[in-house]
Amino acid sequence: MATVEQTPTGPGAGELVPARHDDPGTAANSTHTGVANAKLAMWLFLSSDCLFFGAFIATYLLYRDRPGQTGPTPQDVYNIPFTSVTSFILLMSSLTMVLALAAVQRGDYRRFRIWILATALFGATFIGGQIFEFTEFTRKGLNVDTNLFGSSFFILTGIHGTHVLIGIVWLVALWGLSMQSRISQSDSERVEIAGLYWHFVDVVWIVIFTVIYLLPK
Amino acid sequence: MSDTETQEIEQGSGHEADLPQGDLAYRMAHAAPNLLPGEVKAHPDPWQYVVVAVVLAVITGVEIAVSYMEGDIPDGLIVVLLLAMMVVKFILVASWFMHLRTDQPVFKRLFIVGAIAAPLLYLVVLATLHGVLAS
Repeated sequence: MATVEQTPTGPGAGELVPARHDDPGTAANSTHTGVANAKLAMWLFLSSDCLFFGAFIATYLLYRDRPGQTGPTPQDVYNIPFTSVTSFILLMSSLTMVLALAAVQRGDYRRFRIWILATALFGATFIGGQIFEFTEFTRKGLNVDTNLFGSSFFILTGIHGTHVLIGIVWLVALWGLSMQSRISQSDSERVEIAGLYWHFVDVVWIVIFTVIYLLPK
Repeated sequence: MSDTETQEIEQGSGHEADLPQGDLAYRMAHAAPNLLPGEVKAHPDPWQYVVVAVVLAVITGVEIAVSYMEGDIPDGLIVVLLLAMMVVKFILVASWFMHLRTDQPVFKRLFIVGAIAAPLLYLVVLATLHGVLAS
């Protein structure tokens, strides 16, 4: 049965504050609403990030085929087989992420470290692929200031790549904490919140891959 | 807080059934012992995650195959098929890997607001500005 603590003094005194079931008082799991504050904040952020990415996708769709543009077009530069492979790698990183979460939830820290590191490595491979792709595009004469297509493409995919990079740093930090035995079963919600961010980066790429690369021009 | 009150909260006062289901005290009193706040059901087991990943991989393969059919089937059909598969993949990742199936509905509602508002808003923007920029 869950316990409910009452704040003794100060603002909100007498308010019922539910304690976490197995480890009361950890910041990541504190709640004043019946749902974990940190998790609620992450979902709010992800919901707003949908609008953020939506703006850049809409800008790309608006500008990619504006008449009068000079320089390479999407058809000239896209390498669908290559991007498909990197997209597949990012998709599979979502699997390793949930396996890492499942491992930490059952207290299997060795497997947690393996899966979280695999996720970061998949993410790094995706970023490596993106750097290669950008280099190839530049070699073909498409830069961020070449035309509207180049500007909107590099900004959209660059912002997504930055999100992936932040995710990798987060995952490596969790791995490092686990190596120092500072991640325990009761911290699984911290891993889950990092996972939510990582999966969101993946779902955004699902949309970008289809809308930007695969849809007929 | 008196000892009696603390005891009542910890052991159950016997009046929980009278509380509405949305009430915080009710929810905390009925939380399952192995779940974190915000979860209403246990997460899927690892094999279910693997099955979902296999489905995602297959759909991605079909997506790529369909994109190469440009010229063989109408572009409109390709667009519909690709967008449908994109939505299915999006929902699979959000519901299984992000645990929207098993977490409290408030998270689902929050995310749906963003995920629906973004395409709606930008469809309006695209419809408006496409004509303006073309002219």
